[in-house]
Amino acid sequence: MRPYLGGGGSEWAPGSQDMPEVRRASGVRPYLLTGGRAGPVDAGLEIEAQMATTSVGRAMVDRLAFEQHDIVVFCQNPTAIAEIAAQLNLHLGVARVLVGDLIANGYLTARRPEVGLDRNTSIIERVIRGLQAIR
Amino acid sequence: MDSKPFAEPAQQAPANTRAPLPVKLVIAGGFGVGKTTAVASVSEIPLLTTEAAITEIAAEIDRTGEVPDKTTTTVALDFGRITIDDEIKLYLFGTPGQDRFGFMWHELTKGALGALVIVDTRRLDDCYAAVDYFEHTDVPFVVGVNRFHGSVNHELEDVRWALAIGPETPIVTFDARDRSSVVDALLSVLHRSLAKASATR
Repeated sequence: MRPYLGGGGSEWAPGSQDMPEVRRASGVRPYLLTGGRAGPVDAGLEIEAQMATTSVGRAMVDRLAFEQHDIVVFCQNPTAIAEIAAQLNLHLGVARVLVGDLIANGYLTARRPEVGLDRNTSIIERVIRGLQAIR
Repeated sequence: MDSKPFAEPAQQAPANTRAPLPVKLVIAGGFGVGKTTAVASVSEIPLLTTEAAITEIAAEIDRTGEVPDKTTTTVALDFGRITIDDEIKLYLFGTPGQDRFGFMWHELTKGALGALVIVDTRRLDDCYAAVDYFEHTDVPFVVGVNRFHGSVNHELEDVRWALAIGPETPIVTFDARDRSSVVDALLSVLHRSLAKASATR
């Protein structure tokens, strides 16, 4: 299973008793940014989900620090979680945790890929037309 | 780390504009078959890379002795983006090459419109893991033979035979360095996706 998604049932969680000591060294450090948590508020957020700063987020931006500030500034143009991670030089799992917190606080909204997109013929046809246009 | 690379957007769209709808295709295949090259050829942004930590499988790697000193490792995830229209953004995610990272593929392929499995005919066995994986998922896929050295058209049926790919899976040739060639390969994936979506309606 993926390292960040386990939540309570995770076999890998910072500080958990049964986590082997050897894994602790390099695994935990990135999570200093996240207050030590490895599990995002919403474990299901897709890496391509679009994050957009809300008006609340814009109003609060000066009160945020470090990565949270950067993400809220960055997402004034809607941006995928994977892009946030790449542009801000964060591990994907860390970006996911930070984004989850910002959503929970109302600073970001997420537009997630809709369930069943892969069976949506009109969406697929639009993607085909879009690609044909750039051949 | 760089200083903040982004200025405060001055005149961006209002914050209540609907966010784009993300869709994705997966670019799979063995190590060094041209996945990254293919993504970079069509992406409208410079290829982006992010790292994901791997802890679970570290023990397994240790047993094989491949990475003896590392218990937590990271895998680089390359991706690119194509804006399709004013609403849809298409993301292209390259899978980490080695099959020992296969557990990540579930995350990458979940909800994907389809996958292009890139094959290098000189090292067919490198793509077994990807072909295996997609044959056991619902994700529509096309096998794309990367033309590193001239045409390989005459070998396509040999490739099909060697990989034991069923007749329903298209095999195309393309050049990962050439944008329109990669777009054509992606289009064949999407036509396969469309056929599958239409059939299951």
